[in-house]
Order: sequence, then C-alpha cells, then structure tokens
Amino acid sequence: MNAKTRINNLKSYVKKPYNIILLVLLVVLAYLTLLPLVTIFMDTFTVHASEVRMVKGSVKGDLTLYHWKKMFASGVTSQKTFYEPFANTMLVAFLSCLLAIIIGGFFAWVVTRTNIKYKGFISTVFVFPYIMPSWTLAMAWLNFFRNSRIGGAPGIFTVLTGIPTPDWFAYGMFPIIMVQGMHYAPFAYILIGGILRNMDANLEEAAQLLHASRFRIMTKITLPIVRPALLSTFLLVFSSTMSAFAVPAFLGTPVRFNVLTTQMYRTLNGMNPGYGYIMALVMIIIGVSILMLNQWVTGRRKAYTTITGKSSNISLVNLRRMRNPLSVLLIIILLLVAILPLVSFAVESFILAPGDYSLSNFTTEFWIGEGRPDIANSEPGILRNKSIYLGLWNSLRLSVLVSLIAGTVGILAGYSIAKRRGSHLATAVNNLTFFPYLMPSMAFGAIYLSMFAVRRGFIPALYGSFALLVIVGAVKYLPFASRSGINAMLQLSGEIEEAGTILGISWWKRMIRIIIPIQKTTFISGYLLPFISCMRELSLFILLVSPSTRILTTLLFQYNEKGWNQYANAINLLIVVIVVGFNLLVNKVTGASIDKGIGGNA
Amino acid sequence: MPEIVLKHITKRFGKFVAVDDLNMVIDDRAFVTLLGPSGCGKTTTLRMIAGLETPTEGEITINGKVVYSSVEGIDVPSSKRDVGFLFQNYALWPHMTVYKNISFGLENLKWSKTDIDEKVKELLRMLKIEEFAGRYPAELSGGQQQRVAIARTLATGPKVLFMDEPLSNLDAKLRMEMRTELKRLHRETDSTFVYVTHDQLEAMTLSTKVCLMKNGLLQQYDPPLEVYRRPANTFVADFVGSPNINLVPCAGSHTDDGCVDLRCEGGLSLRFKPSSAFDFSDGANFILGLRPEHIEIGRADAMVEGQILSSLPSGMETIVIAGLSGLHLNSVMFGDLDFPVGSKIGIGFGSGIFNLFDAATTGNLCQGKILAVSGV
Repeated sequence: MNAKTRINNLKSYVKKPYNIILLVLLVVLAYLTLLPLVTIFMDTFTVHASEVRMVKGSVKGDLTLYHWKKMFASGVTSQKTFYEPFANTMLVAFLSCLLAIIIGGFFAWVVTRTNIKYKGFISTVFVFPYIMPSWTLAMAWLNFFRNSRIGGAPGIFTVLTGIPTPDWFAYGMFPIIMVQGMHYAPFAYILIGGILRNMDANLEEAAQLLHASRFRIMTKITLPIVRPALLSTFLLVFSSTMSAFAVPAFLGTPVRFNVLTTQMYRTLNGMNPGYGYIMALVMIIIGVSILMLNQWVTGRRKAYTTITGKSSNISLVNLRRMRNPLSVLLIIILLLVAILPLVSFAVESFILAPGDYSLSNFTTEFWIGEGRPDIANSEPGILRNKSIYLGLWNSLRLSVLVSLIAGTVGILAGYSIAKRRGSHLATAVNNLTFFPYLMPSMAFGAIYLSMFAVRRGFIPALYGSFALLVIVGAVKYLPFASRSGINAMLQLSGEIEEAGTILGISWWKRMIRIIIPIQKTTFISGYLLPFISCMRELSLFILLVSPSTRILTTLLFQYNEKGWNQYANAINLLIVVIVVGFNLLVNKVTGASIDKGIGGNA
Repeated sequence: MPEIVLKHITKRFGKFVAVDDLNMVIDDRAFVTLLGPSGCGKTTTLRMIAGLETPTEGEITINGKVVYSSVEGIDVPSSKRDVGFLFQNYALWPHMTVYKNISFGLENLKWSKTDIDEKVKELLRMLKIEEFAGRYPAELSGGQQQRVAIARTLATGPKVLFMDEPLSNLDAKLRMEMRTELKRLHRETDSTFVYVTHDQLEAMTLSTKVCLMKNGLLQQYDPPLEVYRRPANTFVADFVGSPNINLVPCAGSHTDDGCVDLRCEGGLSLRFKPSSAFDFSDGANFILGLRPEHIEIGRADAMVEGQILSSLPSGMETIVIAGLSGLHLNSVMFGDLDFPVGSKIGIGFGSGIFNLFDAATTGNLCQGKILAVSGV
C-alpha cells in the first residue's frame, strides 16, 4: 500500500459518520467507565483524610493495605463490617429473587396461558410496583406494620386490630424479602410473560397430539424450553436485588440489619471511605460475574430461539369453576400491592400525631402548613417548602437532561453499532455502553465519587456539582437507550438507508427524515426509560448530592432518616404521581407499554 | 372405517367469520387438500378437525365417533383424537435429539423400551435419517428437519394425518422431492391425509380430492382434474391452472341450431355449442373461460387471425400472449417454438371443451365447444 492509498482509505473511513461516532464513544466511554475502575481500585489502597488517625503514622494519600486487612482478616471487625452484611445480602437477594420469580411467573402463566378474566387490567396494574420507586412498598409496609417499640407510633394494622407486630415481622430480613420480592415480581413477569407469549405454541400442540398429558407437556416440553430464559431471568433479578439500597435502608436500618449497600453508604459517608470502596469493588465483581454467567447461559447451544410470534391461537387452559374466584382473587391481591400503598401514603401524610387515625387528628399541616415549632423544627408543608421545590426542580431538570443525553447517544450508538456489526470497534463500543448496566447503582455512584472528588487533568473536581449527577445518570442509563437503539436499527434493513444514500441524501437528512421516523416508538422508549428511572433513582445519586443539588428522592430519604414520617409520605406520593402519570402519558402517546402487551387486548 | 365428517362447521373470531357453514366428507384413505388464498380459513379448518381450535358451531365426526358437537357440548381433546399433525414450521422440540423427538409419542403410549427402539429405528430408516439420530434439530437442514417431523408424526401410527403447508419452507428442488415422498408415504401408510396449501400445483399433483375455499366459504370439493376441467365458478377457474385461464366477458343470444352466439367486448364473436341445454334470455351476460392450452396458435385448422403480442419460450413449452379483436389471450404451445412479436398468425379453438359462467353469480352454467369465430 502506498501513501496515497492509505490517505484515501483514511479519508473514506472518516467520511462515514458511524466510524466517527464509534471512535468518539470509545474514547469518552472508556474514560467514563473504565478509568473510574482504576481510581476506585487505587482508593482501596489509599489513606483518606478521615482515616489518617486510624492508620498510624500515615499522611493523607499514603498507600496502605489497612482497609483490605480490616475488611477481610480482622476477626470480629471483618465479621461485622463485611462478612455479615455480605451473607445477609446474598441470602436476601436469593430469597427475594425466588419470591419475585414465583409470583411473577405465576401471574405470567395465568395471564398468557389461561382464560382468566380482566387480563388487560391485571397486566397493566401488575407492573405498577415496578414503575414506582422501590422503597414505595417498604414505606407502605412501615405504614401498616410499624411497631411502637422501634418505630415510635404503631402502624395502621396494629391500630385497627390491636395486635402489636413482632420485630421480625415489621423490620429486618423478612419484610425486606417480601417487599423486594413484590417489587421485582413485575420484572420477572415481564421477562417470563414475554417468553411464554413468544414461545411457539406448535411445540406444545405437537406434544398434545402425541398423547402427552398436560403435566407431561409442562415438565417435558414447556419448562425445558423456557429453562435457559428462566435462569437468565433469575440472574437479572438477582443482580438487581443484590444491589438494592432503599428497601434495606428503610426496613433493615432500624434493627441494625445491614447489607452491603447500606454498609457502603454508612462507610462512604462516614469515617472509612476505604471500606466503602472495597465493598463497591466486591459488588462490581459479583455484578459483572453474574451478568457474564448470564451471557454464557443464554449463549449456549441449548438456549433456543423459540420466538416465532405465531402463538396467537394457543389453546388456553380452561379454569372452569375456578375462573371467577381466581380472577377476583388476583384483582384483590393487585389492589393490595399496587393501590393500597398509595392510599396509605395519602393517609399518613394527613395525620398530625402518628398512629392516631381518628378524624380529629387529620391535618393539612404537612402539605400546606407554614411550619410549627413543635413539629420537625418548623419545617413548612411540602407545597410551601422551598427545599422541596428545589428538589423537584433538580429532579425534573436532572431527569430531562439525563434522558436527552442517554437517549440521543443511545440512538447514535445503536445506529453505529448496527452499521459496523461484527467489527472489533463496534463490539468494543457495544460492551462499553452495556458495562454500566453490570454495576450496582450505589457502587457506580461510589466510583464516580472516587474519580471526580479531585481535579483530573483538565476536568475540575466535580464533587457536589449538578453536572456530576447528569454525567453519572447519563452513563448509568445509557444501556437502556443503546439497547433500544440497537434493536431498532437491527429491525430496519440496511437497504432502507441505502435507498436514501443512492439518491444523494445527506446523513443528517437520512437520520431525521428516514430512520428516526420509522423507528419512532422504539427510540422514544430509549428516552422514556432513562427519564423514569432517573426520576425515582436514589442509590445512584445519594453519595453524590450536595445541599444545593438535592433531588426529591434524596430529600425523601433524609426526611425519613430524621423520622419526619408525614413529609416523607407526602414526597413519596408526589414522586409516585409524577412517575406513574408520566408513564401513562407516554403509553397513551406512543402506544408503547412496559408490560409489552403481555395481557393482550382482552 | 376412518372417515371424517364435518357438519355445518362455523368458526368466528369476534366478528370475523373464518369458516362459514362448512359441510364436507373426507373418505377413508383419501388425500384431501384444503386449497385457497391466505386467510381463506383452510388452516383454521384443519386445526378444528385436529382439535387445536374449537369451532363456534357444528359437528365433527372422526371414524364414526363424534369428537366435536356444539349442540351436545362434546369436545374431545386433540390428544384423544388419534390424529397426526405436521406443522408448517415442523415444531421440533429444540431440547431433544432427533431420536427423542420421535420416541416421545411412543413413551406417552407407554410402549416398552425395546419396542420404542425398534419402531424409531424403522422410521429413521424409512425416512433416510439414520445418521442424524443423535443430533439436535438446530443442527439439521430444513429438509432433514422436515423428515424428522414426518417420522415423529408417523411414529404413533395415526390413521389420519394432518399437514399444514409442510413444504412451504423448503426450496424448489427439495419440494419436488418431498412431494414424491409424501405420495409414497400415503400409499405405504394406508392413512387418510388432509393437507393444507395455497399452492394449486401442489394440490393438483398430490391429492385425490381438492377442497377449494375462499373467505371461509367452500367453493368446490372434487377430484383435482375435475376441478380443473369443470371449475364450479370463475374464482376456482382462475385459482387453478398456470398460466391463468382467460376469462372473457361476453353477451349471448340464441341461434337457430341450438348454439349460443357470444359477442365479446371489442367485437369478437364466437359460436358456442353447449353440451347440455340451459335457459337464458337473449342479451344475458356471460363469462367464457378459455384455458391457455386450448388456444391453438399457428395451426392449419385456424379459425381466425390474431397477432403475437409476446412470446416466452422455455424449451418444453412457450407461453404466448395473443391479441384478438382487442382481447389479450394467454396461450401455451407445447414444444420448442417461438413466434416473432408483432406477426399475424392464425388462432384456433377446435380441440378444447370450454366452460361458460354466469356473469352475475360467477357460477358454472355449462360446458361446450367452440364451432366458429369471427373477429373484426
């Protein structure tokens, strides 16, 4: 190759927009996802300002093995700071995941395979708990089952029945598992329902025609075929429950039941950031391993593509006499899990003295009051409260910016990756855009804390700035957007764009007039998911907010920590209303729904 | 004797009527094809007989036993109907080997291990797939998968075998091969085959009887050559045969010698001699069906002069479009012929038997010969 050919090759390479996009993404994402891993790794060996007194004879910035020793090999200290929370995390994650799969799988089976009534309603309402922030059910649980020994005033259940709830029932492992199980059940429902809905019904019919009983069809055909997908569902739910922060913080902290995330929050906010960074690293390693395991499970020879989309005429199990009772029962369960919590927030936010539900105790103080010196240090009601409005403004601003950045980058990334599919560059960028998904939210927040606490090259110390929240949010939610971007592009045959290229239409025009309009719905969901996730996110931002950048969710958490229960309930109601309302609005506008039409149109 | 009887079968999906009052008897050891354009209800009919779909109304009897009756509330599940079903996409179980796929049905019937082994090996031999016994379906080609699906369906020895467009996913050459294979299987297994297809050629070549459907309504149920020779209406005439039949609208009037004088748009007039008398009034509107092979070009006994508009020789035959008094007629001439486009040439109708349809009802009125033609 002579020099001229090389220059021409280079010219034609950079003339293609997707090459440029991939190169830029490669550099930026490597900087934003890989480099922080290095800094967090270094941080586990560094003496931080607050640790100088503990590590004898050191100055800030010294290298040390102190954190690792204390964490893993120091008897009772290690037991309390690491091994116990670690064991709790694994147990809670495993059991809540199991619960989620059982509940979600049961609902998915009932909705896709039986002639149950009200399918549309069940399907829509069942995903509510998942759309709502994860602590919603935890707060509801406390509203109902608080006991006076630990929670101050008793909850609604005790007031109504006179039965005091035991500690194990109100706080700690049991309610955490219940609440997380219910919160992630819709996630399992969406995944399993999708599998069941798309599974080729002919496979089951073929067995039926060959004289197989229903039970044999279930055990020999259906289950083995969905097993890889089921396992993959399990792993995905597990990695979510493992990294959950809000629920253990609400339900576990009062009885000192610690998991890795709550422990991480404590240590990073306290005197031992070194411990926290190690825990973040451990969680990242577990998270990455789980998802690699998932890749392996779904990539094997025995993981089949059973998707044909031709199962519309599957014969449904006739529930016969069970049909009406079961339909009603499911509706009641849904109302208990999805609607009743909201009612409890409303009720709690109007009650003056907690635990007293008599009519005379109702007040609008916590919504529109000016603030009374005897309650919560004269904190005004949330509709007249400057810090709430600041938080709301920050939340909205943050969610909009994050969704715009993540969504747009996601479309471009999806487009470029699909265009250069198979090349090393595209594979590398694809993996980089997906990488943040592997990392537990709080650990991801922690690595940004580590990375941007100080000045790095030309980038100033961003800690406490709003920009840092935007960056961390955009990178963390990029996987949602880039997935939908890639899917949208893969569905679109390359010829559609080529037809435009041949007519001499510029790249910009091709994107804006051809590609984006065709795949509108998918792209919109690439904007929608980051927005909703961001609006209800707590653990990603909690380590990074400063008083001026507080958002609604962190405010809620602070009010709750202070024990200002009514304010917390009111704020939560506000968040739920915004998130659910926005979600419904987008469903209406785009026709895209989170439950992906599992309930059909029935 | 295995005989399938459908009485007043109707299937509605909401407001949409998929199958409308279908009556039909499928004889023992018949090879019946359900033929029609997509969405005509043929697959739904097949699935209803097999028990995979529940009819809205009607009665189905297999082998003298009522398996479905809307009046009596009988609905025998498909696992008890003793029928085989071959799916369009084969529906092989991806997690089982070829051997396991075939033996599954026999296990359900609680056969002993040795009997199962013997039967499976026999089927593997019969369908020439012995070397694939240990493979998974994903590791087979389309044709091999097809054979496994057939073996699996035949394993339990059903007396009735249903097939839903089984050849549509194969390439042209394999399809030819499998057609021969299916005819052989039909003879060897002594079973009744019911076969769904939208390919008229497949229906013509395979079946002993063709059931033609359109929009859920039965159009004609006859042996294939009967359907070809005497189509019940213009839809059937048009659907069966390639190249397409020429359907020429015309007005008829009586002549003295019992013939019909047919005047077409553009001025062509034909003298049509019906083989049986039928009633009509002068000026009534008809549609005359002219099969391409009955339009003879360049023969000595030509009746009228036309013009060659296009000529597509393929060696064995040549498809010609001939212009005749403003009409464009499809014609097929056998042999390696070619005609210069634009040339004038003689056209004859001497050897064919033609069908005359009512223009309003599109129904077949009568058959007859064409005695004379005059153009403009």
